[in-house]
Amino acid sequence: MVIELKNKTEFEPKIVMFACNWCSYSGIDLAGTSRMTYPPNVTIIRTMCSGRVEPSFIMKSFANGMDGVIVSSCHQGDCHYIDGNMKSLRRVKLMQHLLDGFGIERERVNFVGISASEGVLAVDTIVEMVETIRKLGPLELEAGR
Amino acid sequence: MTEEIRIGVYTCHCGVNISSVIDIDEVVNYAKALDNVVLSRDNIFTCSAPGQNSIIEDIKEHGLNRVVVAACSPHMHERTFRNAAEQAGLNRYLVEIANIREQSAWVHPQNPIEATDKAKTLVRMAVAKARLLEAIEITKTDVKQKLLVIGGGVAGLKATQDAAQRGLDVTLVERSPTLGGHAARIGKLVHTNISGSATVNEFVDQISVMDNVTILTNAKVTEVKGSFGDYSVSINIKPRYVKGSIPNPEKGLEACPVLVDNEYEYGIDKRKAFFKPFTMAYPSSYVIDMNACTHNIDGCDKCVTACGESHIDLKMPDSSSSEQFGTIIVTTGFDPYEPKVGEYGYKENEKVITLMQLERYLSDDEIDFKRIGVEDPQNIVFISCVGSMNDENPECSRMCCSSSFKNMIRIRHVFPNANIFFLYQDIRTYARREELLYETASAKQVMMLRWDKESPPKVDVNGDMNVKIYDSLISEELLIPSDLIVLSNGMLPREGYKETAELLKLPCSSEGWIQEAHAKLRPVELPSPGVYVGGTAQAPRDIMESITTASAATAKALIPILQGQVEQEAQLCYVNEDVCGACGVCITTCPYEAITKIDLPDDRQVANVNAKLCHGCGQCAGACPTGAMQQKNYRDDQIYAMINALIVGGD
Repeated sequence: MVIELKNKTEFEPKIVMFACNWCSYSGIDLAGTSRMTYPPNVTIIRTMCSGRVEPSFIMKSFANGMDGVIVSSCHQGDCHYIDGNMKSLRRVKLMQHLLDGFGIERERVNFVGISASEGVLAVDTIVEMVETIRKLGPLELEAGR
Repeated sequence: MTEEIRIGVYTCHCGVNISSVIDIDEVVNYAKALDNVVLSRDNIFTCSAPGQNSIIEDIKEHGLNRVVVAACSPHMHERTFRNAAEQAGLNRYLVEIANIREQSAWVHPQNPIEATDKAKTLVRMAVAKARLLEAIEITKTDVKQKLLVIGGGVAGLKATQDAAQRGLDVTLVERSPTLGGHAARIGKLVHTNISGSATVNEFVDQISVMDNVTILTNAKVTEVKGSFGDYSVSINIKPRYVKGSIPNPEKGLEACPVLVDNEYEYGIDKRKAFFKPFTMAYPSSYVIDMNACTHNIDGCDKCVTACGESHIDLKMPDSSSSEQFGTIIVTTGFDPYEPKVGEYGYKENEKVITLMQLERYLSDDEIDFKRIGVEDPQNIVFISCVGSMNDENPECSRMCCSSSFKNMIRIRHVFPNANIFFLYQDIRTYARREELLYETASAKQVMMLRWDKESPPKVDVNGDMNVKIYDSLISEELLIPSDLIVLSNGMLPREGYKETAELLKLPCSSEGWIQEAHAKLRPVELPSPGVYVGGTAQAPRDIMESITTASAATAKALIPILQGQVEQEAQLCYVNEDVCGACGVCITTCPYEAITKIDLPDDRQVANVNAKLCHGCGQCAGACPTGAMQQKNYRDDQIYAMINALIVGGD
């Protein structure tokens, strides 16, 4: 077995991905069952609908040391709960404006639609996000923020 | 007094699926050291009977009141482990899954150290949430022993027949004045060579005499309330204005001055406002189309004068009914694509017709092209994929290739010397026995020319009606002077699909097809529990496929009815009334109209969730600005605990 030894001083992004139960969580599962690989930097939290993800989840994630957040949903038009993903998308877009004000790069929050059959898209999303955050570097919040 | 939290953690080897990458011992020992974890073990297969038994025994023996299983995806075995907990007397919602197989072992096989770290993180997060889990009450509803079928085309007829044969009470609601849908208007069906209306009548003859079947035509579902197992449905029935079978309908026909396009003939001829859809229509009585009738504008009552007041009443009111149903099947069907004016010369020259219109010209044993001036055609051109497989509608309509071939073969018998051309983008005679149609058409000298999506054929409607096609297989441009052009038009979602979708809270694809709950595993079930779909409301299909899916939907729809009781969604949303400011954001967010404002005894207003309407998505909780709205099993504090546990020591 090949064991990759990482240079410990290199920055490893910490990312949390909120996934809706129906499409995106299944898509991420499919990446696993298809034995695709992605970097271990991303950890998944399941909600029933992406519409459940509230701004405080994103802010708490940053406050708690995450360098990036992905909110993933069904594709627009395919929401299991009619249009929860549209509401979630709008919320994330608004969040990005707010993040500007906090001095947090908006690229640190990503919204993506992944269907249950799109293991490849799940992997691509994770790989790209890890690279994006790696380039941005660690999120450094000033104390008291 | 709060009970002591006693968590048991079960880390699964999954044979070698997990243990070949992740250091199971390390995860087991790590879990053991977490707060509130009183027991941590591993199993080779936790889902196996011994694995489940170890959970059941531990709950009893060690007084576990929370269970964390670190194994495969919750989509795989969450249900299994919840059942095991229930067998030991523990509420099923006191079980939490850490998905260390799909989300760690399988995706990080090259990094066992990091995979093990991630497994520890997932276990830490699951334990953090487990500490905050609460038992959730599971409520059951008695299922009303009655089925509603919406849409009386072949799919709806089949669903009605199947359920009625099982002895169930069925109500079939059809929007138009007659049953049978588009299938009833097809000239001769492929393979059987029997007319569409005769085929449809096989169903109608049977169900129309059954005591347990109620057929409502000219009727529309206007409201659906209630929940799984107990849907209250309001139905509006438009009057026919004609009382039963009248002795002298020909007088009424003659008297009616209004002429409109006959939709039952796809517009190839006209009908009166006083009409009977077609000879074998059911119900067989005449009907007045009030949208066309001028009675309400100029007071015309010529049909009443002709047929007598005892037979026609133009002031007949709408009637309505309200009933309870256990389950609902949606078979609302499709609309044929109506080509735009000028698309391949459609409507600019009457010799350009659609495939559905061709079915009507071929409906009798005599082919009747004479009325559009086609007497001895030399060249007949079919153009495929009209309104399908393009940017606007990427779907293949599935039935048009076979249907075109069927009709070409039929035309060949009548006009043995005519040249028949099939200009195709792609030939998809995919179903059983349909390849034979293609071969037969080939053998009967149908000439097939292929065009590319980028350069479809062009029709010049003037003069010789030249069709210009660039055949991409021989890289040549050909010019075909034609006597008749048939546009093989595809299927589109029914106009008004949004209305149906909104009534029943159903998701639709971006094109408008009703979307199933799971593309592979639940193909005829819809996300709204107790609602099922069959036929072309879901996707383009031929008659056999429509009937197959209708039967499948009926089989599924009968399950809750035969069970007698069903469980309601338990992970519902609820309001913390102390914090709610009655801003109403949740009310506008809820897609199911489950939330209303109520008055408290202290005159305060708060939001209130109707548990029967809530689907448990949590959109309201996501939108609530104060945190008053929460979702069971996905509460803010539970998710915060998981977020905190993302980092070591955060829990």
